[in-house]
Amino acid sequence: MITILLFACTNKESKPQEETVQEQTQADKNLNGFWVGDFVAEETKDGSEFVTTNKLNIAIKSIINDTVSAQSIVAGNKRPLSGKINRRNGKTTFNLAEPGDDKYDGTFEFELVGDSLIGFWKAYNTNLPVTKRSFKLVRKEFSYNPNLMLSSEGDYTDYVDSKSKTELDTLEDGKVEEYTDDYYRQASESVYTLNSSTKLLTEKELKNLKKLDLEILRNTIFARHGYTFKKKSFRQFFDPVEWYVPVSDNIDGELTAVEKTNIKQLTRFEKYATDNYDTFGR
Amino acid sequence: MLQITLRYIPYHREVAFLQIKQTEVTSVKAYLPIFYIHVYTAVFALLGGFTQFNNSILTKYKKLHRAMGYLYFIVVVFFAAPSGIFMGYHANGGFLSKISFILLGSLWLFFTIKAVYYIRKKDIKNHRHFMMRSFALAFSAITLRMWKVILVYLFHPSPMDIYQIIAWLGWIPNLLLIEYLIRKNINHEKK
Repeated sequence: MITILLFACTNKESKPQEETVQEQTQADKNLNGFWVGDFVAEETKDGSEFVTTNKLNIAIKSIINDTVSAQSIVAGNKRPLSGKINRRNGKTTFNLAEPGDDKYDGTFEFELVGDSLIGFWKAYNTNLPVTKRSFKLVRKEFSYNPNLMLSSEGDYTDYVDSKSKTELDTLEDGKVEEYTDDYYRQASESVYTLNSSTKLLTEKELKNLKKLDLEILRNTIFARHGYTFKKKSFRQFFDPVEWYVPVSDNIDGELTAVEKTNIKQLTRFEKYATDNYDTFGR
Repeated sequence: MLQITLRYIPYHREVAFLQIKQTEVTSVKAYLPIFYIHVYTAVFALLGGFTQFNNSILTKYKKLHRAMGYLYFIVVVFFAAPSGIFMGYHANGGFLSKISFILLGSLWLFFTIKAVYYIRKKDIKNHRHFMMRSFALAFSAITLRMWKVILVYLFHPSPMDIYQIIAWLGWIPNLLLIEYLIRKNINHEKK
């Protein structure tokens, strides 16, 4: 009797497994791909207004029946995402969740509205600086193109790492006043004129560049490969770029020989600039 | 200054300043050895120079003065100045800074030889004056780097723009100041 029961059990379990091999319907396939847009802070822990907007990519891998398999890629963090899709009363809504073993994991709820996915993310951890974010995502294609360049219209001021400078000012009554000025580094036009992916950069081209220029040139290589930046100081330059789609947190195997050489060269110049630019030495 | 020299020990192809000099390091065979000759010897010129203008050493320890003088002469004339001229030819910052460094090296060589020529003729006054000029140029190793720190702090210029400026600012004012002191000295002696 027991044997028969066990047998029956195994039989029952194997049945639904066969069903999951089912093909995706065309309507579901149309939702596959990268959905990209601003990830805007809505609720912060202490009501702070100084929080950044990041670029969010929800990559939908497959939808089978009502089960969605996806990934969220934002700010250097690529997380698995799974959950359900609901089609009711002409509305298509998603309820997806991250596993919860990362500090920044949470749940995503959104709706397909026209060509966009609109919704919210809520953090599991309520002690994070930002606990709720909103987004409106549109579908984006991604393919590596070494010819993509930063635009000459962009603002290449480093607002994240400002340097403060203390200056002395002698007032009319002879008093000396000390005041502090924030100094924002500004990149030169080299960041949109030099291509760091298609040709080997020469020392002559790099010598007159400041550290910020070198950093941006090096990271443009990573941006072309769809690297998601962990550092806010780099996201500020690439998140607003139209062609930039964060798709991966590891692109090591994808760099071309030219890019590898340029990265080495740029890193050497960055190190030189760090050690020598404003110090006694050459 | 000693610290700057110590950065280049042990001998290495890509350290410090050489990080942005790989074109020369790989394409000009002589660059790296001559660069190292300059770095390792020039610091002795600076050390030698500090003892030479002290009056009590000059009068009480004539032998020390002579020994340090020979060290300075050999270091400058055979090593530091010729290697400096060669490096000047390959200097960063283009034509303007190249001219400056070649001129600096040549004058340094010339003043030092001239100073030794005068002491051989027992002409102490001219020996002293030319050694003052020579050391004013040796001291550009310090003033050039000092100007860089000041200008970067004030204006945040691009690295090579500043290089062209300090190439000249590093030694011209030194020489002008020394010429002024020499003139003052001559007038004083005439009275």
